[in-house]
Parts: sequence; C-alpha cells; structure tokens
Amino acid sequence: MIEATNLIKEFRVTKKESGLRGALKGLIRPERETVRAVDGVSFRINKGEIVGYLGPNGAGKSTTVKMLTGILHPTSGEILINGVSPHRERTRVVQNLGVVFGQRTQLNWDLRLGESFELQRRIYRISDDRFAAQMDTMRSLLGLTEFENTPVRQLSLGQRMRGDLAAAMLHSPSILFLDEPTIGLDLTAKQAIRDFIREVNTLHQTTIILTTHDLEDVEQLCKRLIVINHGRVVEDGPLEDLIDRLAPYRQIEIDFVQEVPVIEIQGVDVVEVNGNRMVLQFDRRAFSAASVISAVTQRAAVRDLSVREPEIADVLKRYYQDSA
Amino acid sequence: MSDFLNSCKHYASVGSFQGRMALQRQLEYPLFLVSWLIMIPLKYLIGVWMLKILVDQFQPLAGWTFPQLAFLYGLGMLSHGLMVVVSIQSWFLDHMVIQGGFDRMLLRPLNVFFQFTFMYLNLIGCVDLIPAVIIFVTGCSLTGFDWTFGNSVGVLSVVLGATLIRSSFYTLTACVAFWTKRATHMRAIGHDLMERSTLYPLSIYPKAFQWILTFVIPLGFISFYPSTALLNINHGTALPLEIAMWTPIIGIAMFGLSQIVFNRGLRAYESAGS
Ligand SMILES: Nc1ncnc2c1ncn2[C@@H]1O[C@H](COP(=O)(O)OP(=O)(O)O)[C@@H](O)[C@H]1O
Ligand SMILES: [Mg+2]
Repeated sequence: MIEATNLIKEFRVTKKESGLRGALKGLIRPERETVRAVDGVSFRINKGEIVGYLGPNGAGKSTTVKMLTGILHPTSGEILINGVSPHRERTRVVQNLGVVFGQRTQLNWDLRLGESFELQRRIYRISDDRFAAQMDTMRSLLGLTEFENTPVRQLSLGQRMRGDLAAAMLHSPSILFLDEPTIGLDLTAKQAIRDFIREVNTLHQTTIILTTHDLEDVEQLCKRLIVINHGRVVEDGPLEDLIDRLAPYRQIEIDFVQEVPVIEIQGVDVVEVNGNRMVLQFDRRAFSAASVISAVTQRAAVRDLSVREPEIADVLKRYYQDSA
Repeated sequence: MSDFLNSCKHYASVGSFQGRMALQRQLEYPLFLVSWLIMIPLKYLIGVWMLKILVDQFQPLAGWTFPQLAFLYGLGMLSHGLMVVVSIQSWFLDHMVIQGGFDRMLLRPLNVFFQFTFMYLNLIGCVDLIPAVIIFVTGCSLTGFDWTFGNSVGVLSVVLGATLIRSSFYTLTACVAFWTKRATHMRAIGHDLMERSTLYPLSIYPKAFQWILTFVIPLGFISFYPSTALLNINHGTALPLEIAMWTPIIGIAMFGLSQIVFNRGLRAYESAGS
C-alpha cells in the first residue's frame, strides 16, 4: 500500500541569463530561484491496483515517482510504502520495489544482458532456486532467450525495455513503478510490455504505478487514473468516472434506410446530418444508449448504427493543451 | 553477530561482482587499453628524466639528492597508481551528482557510499603502476634502502594510507557539487596540487604552504613525510619523525570524514530533471 500525504518538492535552480554578460553574472553571483515541481500531492494506492499517473510534460510525475522510491527527499509531506517511510528507511523500502525509468536504463551498457540479472541476484540475495524459477518466468513472459547473451548496447529499444522490466521484477517486488515504460517503442514492443504488466499484476497482485503519455496504455491497463498538472492532483478516480464526468456525452451514428426522420427528443441533439446518416449526441447520465436507439427506431427504419465512446485523449485534452 | 557476518558476505558478493563486471567491461575495448598502456608509463618516465636533468644541472633540490628524489617520486606514484585503479570514480563524483548518477544506487537496498566506493575497478590504472614501480625500485636501490621487515611494513602501510588520502581528498572536493549542483572542476586543481605536493619535497615551498599541506590538507603525508622518515632525512621538516609515518591514520581519518560529508551531501541530492 502506498500513502502520500501533502507531498511537496521544491528545487533550487540557477537562472540562466543570456549573452556573455549574463554568463559572467551567473559565474560571479548566480541567481537562484525555487521551482515547485510537486505541490501538495496526496493519494492512497492499495495492493494490486494498476494506477495511471498522468499529466503533461513537466507536471511533476517523475519527481513524484522519485520521492516514492526514495531517490528524492520531499521538501515536506509524508510517504509510507507498506507503512514504512522511504525517506527514513530507504534500504528497507527499496528491497520491495521494482523501478523502471523508460528514459534511462538500469542495465549495464557494455555487458551481456544476463550479467545485469546476475548482479540483481546478488544485490537482492535471491536464492539459486528462486532465481532459476524467476528467470524461467521472465524468459517466457518477455521472450528474453533470444537476446540474453547480447551486450545491452546492441539491443533494440524494445528488447532493452524488456530487459529492464525483467531486472526490476527478478526479486518479486510487491510494488512496481514504471516511468514511461513504452516511450519510443513500436506497436508490437508496446503491446509486449502491456501484456507483461497485466500478467504480473494478475499473477502476483503486484501494485503498479505507471506514468505514460500513451493513452492505449491507459485504456488497456489502468482501472484508476491520477492526473496531475503543475504539481497538483487535478483528477483521481476510476477511468469510467473520469470519462463520465469530463466527457459525459456519448454519440450514436445512425444509417437510415430512407431519408433521415425528424428527431425531437428533449436532451438529444442532432450534431450532424449527411445524406441518410445522422449523428446524435446525448448526456449519458440522463439517457441510456438503448433508450435513445429504441426511440429512433420507432420513427424510422434503421440500417445500421454504432455507439461512439469518448476517447481518453479527448477527455484529457484540456490538461495537455495548456502546457503544449 | 551472524546478522553482521551475513551483511558482510552480502556486500562482499555484490562488491566483488561489480569489480568483475568493471574489468569485463574494459576488456570489451582492448584498443583503448593498449593506447594507454603506451602513453602513461611514458609520461611518468619523462617526468623523472626531467627531474634528473634538473638535479644534474643545478644543485640538489632543497638538499635532496637525485636518489632520494626518485624514492619520493616513486613512492608518491605508487599510491597515485593504486588510487587510479581502485578509486577513479572519486574524480567523477561531481559529474555523477549533476547527471543524477546516484539514482540507480539509491534504488538498491545497499549503502550508497559502499556502492560508490566499490563501483569500479579501473584496469587501465595498472598502467600508472608500471612506471611507479620502476621509479620506486630505482630510488630504493640508489639510496640503498634497506628492506627490513619494519621498512617493508612501513612502505606498504604508507602506500595504502596514501591511497586513502588521495581518494578521500578527491571525494571531499567533489562533494561540494551536492550543494552547488555544479561541476566543481576541482579535479584539475586538486590534481595539480597533488602532483606538486607528492612528487617533489615539500621543503622547496614557502613555510605557509608547507604548513597548510601538513595540517589543513594533509597531502604531505602521501610521500614527503614518509620519505623523510624512511630515508632518515632530517633537514627542512618541522615534523618529528614519529609523526611522519602517520599516513595510514590520516588516511583512515580522511576516509571517515569523506564518508560523513558524502552522506550529508546525499541528503541534499536532487537527482536530475528528465
Ligand atoms: N533535479 C531537478 N532539478 C531541478 N528541477 C527539476 C529537477 N527534476 C525536475 N525538475 C523540474 O520539476 C518539474 C517537474 O519535472 P518532472 O517531475 O520531471 O515532470 P514530468 O515527469 O511530469 O514530465 C519540471 O519543471 C522540471 O524542470
Ligand atoms: Mg517524466
């Protein structure tokens, strides 16, 4: 279980000024300013959850992950990972964590992938039997066999990421942090990573915190989303609730046999008419799709119809827009 | 007690494996190794040769004869070579701080100072040891240094202690980066100071400078004071000969201090923006 209470993280950064004059000034008397990367974040994540931690670039996602994993000390606020503070008892907490930063590998660049696993085995004191069993699982879930003996620098990005995931899971941590694990990968590699995440979660009830910009990741994996912007939590709840609230409209596209009838139902809007085709929009909290469909079919013969679900991209658009 | 032993075994197994990995990594690039194998001994042999020219053409340096100078130079280089083999990372500590290089170590259930201390074994550093041994052995035979049991233990403890002083000195100066978040560029300055104070007798410098290198930054204990004691040279040093061999004690003290400062710094560590 992860509990974060009122987390704040401030960085002191030197202001860079332009030109030679600015550079000289910075050398003699650097001007410092405080940046608040995380500004009062609180949440609670239970065992076995897969939570999407979303937000635009610079929102403070990585900084939060670094605090939760004990890399950074919060400026203020409290973190408890299974009841223990990573700030005060770092080694005890990290024993039970797996962490992957998509932008930066934990693997040893110059050596064959297997050496990095061997190092993990010693660091986490994994017994020989356990190690063999875990390696077997990882091999079958991630298809490591084909590149286990290749130097990490020669791996494709997708293979490297699979290696990183395996290294992070070898000691069977109960919590897995993934910071942009699918960044830069092609579609098949992304899918392999997603399948692995889902598998690990169902097999061992591993709690997973995932930051991503990929909405497919979110749709496939996350039951719950926490959205942050400018260091603050702006949304926290089940995926469906979020969609209900932020995109309460649903659309039905209908093909009529003959020309489109006049539809006048209170609360249902006609947003598009094109030949025999019509698009209706309604508030999903007030109507069910079925009731709208039956009202329409009473008025005219329908050849075909489809219900359009709102895209997560649309739902989150307003959080991503103001930072782009 | 068995907890402690288990913990030692754990750290030893991780430490030795990291060392093995470091060596393996370097063997991946043999050409790089070979070029250093030629360059580094050359550089130091030229250094002694210059020294010899200096001493031949002018008077002995601050009363030190060439054989004595070679002994001091060689002794200083031994700990330099050893430091470069086992502790080269202390030269790069500030860059690791700035680039977020401690993230990975902080994620492991192991002491970070330990991981840092044993993170690397620099094979190429052995190349620095070759001229060191040649020059020191030459110095020993020219001065007629007597390899008694006591003297041998003395030399060994001085070399080990001096290695600790050197790496702790670099660690301490680079630790500033934890707070300033800037590369300290102390390596160049520190390196210069180190060469000047370990390859030549301190007594050629002004008294104030000598005093600083004895009591403030005790680099004088790397080769100068031990040489005076081992060769029984009495001129030009204010320090009693018994203290002159305190190199291991000072090394351990500086190592302890560097660990304290490192751990303080780590609390201020801010990773790096992504
Ligand atoms: N080590 C650091 N030093 C200074 N500023 C940082 C550091 N890490 C992050 N920041 C700043 O904090 C803010 C949040 O960064 P980050 O957590 O990396 O965002 P995200 O992962 O959501 O893209 C950004 O403005 C970033 O520049
Ligand atoms: Mg990030």
